[in-house]
Amino acid sequence: MEKKPHIKVYSTPMCPYCYTLKEFLKENGFEFEDIDVSKDKKSLDEMVEKSGQMGVPVIEIDGEIIMGFDKEKICKKLKISE
Amino acid sequence: MLYELIIIGGGPAAITAGIYAARKKVKTLLICADWGGQMAYAPDIENYPGFEKITGIELVNKFKQHLKNYPIEILEHIRVEKIETISGDNPIFKIRTLKGEEFQTRAVIVATGKVPRKLNIPKEEEFIGKGISFCAICDAPLYKDKVVAVIGGGNSGCDSSLLLSQYAKKIYILQFGPNLTCDVSTREKIRENKKIQVITNAQVKEIYGDKFIKGVKYQDRTSKEIKNLDIDGLFIAIGSLPASHPIKEMIKLNEDGEIIIDKNNMTSQKGIFAAGDVTDVCFKQIIIAAGEGAKAALSVCKYLGK
Repeated sequence: MEKKPHIKVYSTPMCPYCYTLKEFLKENGFEFEDIDVSKDKKSLDEMVEKSGQMGVPVIEIDGEIIMGFDKEKICKKLKISE
Repeated sequence: MLYELIIIGGGPAAITAGIYAARKKVKTLLICADWGGQMAYAPDIENYPGFEKITGIELVNKFKQHLKNYPIEILEHIRVEKIETISGDNPIFKIRTLKGEEFQTRAVIVATGKVPRKLNIPKEEEFIGKGISFCAICDAPLYKDKVVAVIGGGNSGCDSSLLLSQYAKKIYILQFGPNLTCDVSTREKIRENKKIQVITNAQVKEIYGDKFIKGVKYQDRTSKEIKNLDIDGLFIAIGSLPASHPIKEMIKLNEDGEIIIDKNNMTSQKGIFAAGDVTDVCFKQIIIAAGEGAKAALSVCKYLGK
């Protein structure tokens, strides 16, 4: 059985793309760690360090960082057929 | 497969058009890049009838859920690359997406809304995501106890500044003209907010920083003096441009790039209709866009003989 991917989503509460990304993951049956960087400075610093930038959302899939709701990259990484 | 109608867009005009078309049993496909359009970026909406106060995202979800109650085909998170006419008197149109998929239809409603206007000054692209943001609702919480500037003193810039004041310790509004142009009620809130300082007659000339933004140089348009403003973040809210590029070669646009429509939302090309902020409708509001979407769909029904 294929191992489940380890997914972290860095987001802020009212960001539309963050919401869209999280809904997309849920609709496709993926669990993820939902990190609100507005409440947690350590996580914000971690996100900036890993992604080299300050925009949200940032998704980390098995260590790979993808910025924004880049559907094509995310589908490829998670093997979701578009 | 030949659709009767393809709607391009995911905002209030497109969604309302979709609801009306579906209820009239028009064979419809809706292609949207992003749900909600500009509405998704509004922190609080207080002028959509029926909702005294609702966030942009909540209203988008209500619109979306309402649409999905109907048996309408939807392609989401997909951008349209081009629209072409493939036959003459009773035209058929071909829509191509950026992924290369093609669809044919008898009628089109273009409801693609607007995209944020950029400053188009040196280093702007370089610092997007590195201190420059076009989305206060997304990124304001990242600037807790920081100093930020907002370029733009209209409703969008002023609303962004008020939102930022919940997080940042200081907000500068850099307004090109001599006065703020936001609504009177907003202007009063800005005046009362001790964290916000308005700088008028300011034209931003340059952005500086290294890994992240450190500041902007702006010119005082009256004294011509160039001044430095050190900041941790910059939010750009200088208006928006109509997203008419997939169709601009086919139909008449006005000097602002907006699609010219008649009272039935028909463009200069028979069979292509448009609705919402991408058109030359006088006022750009959610309720107006929704109304225009309904009108466009009803006009399409008449055009199709339904």
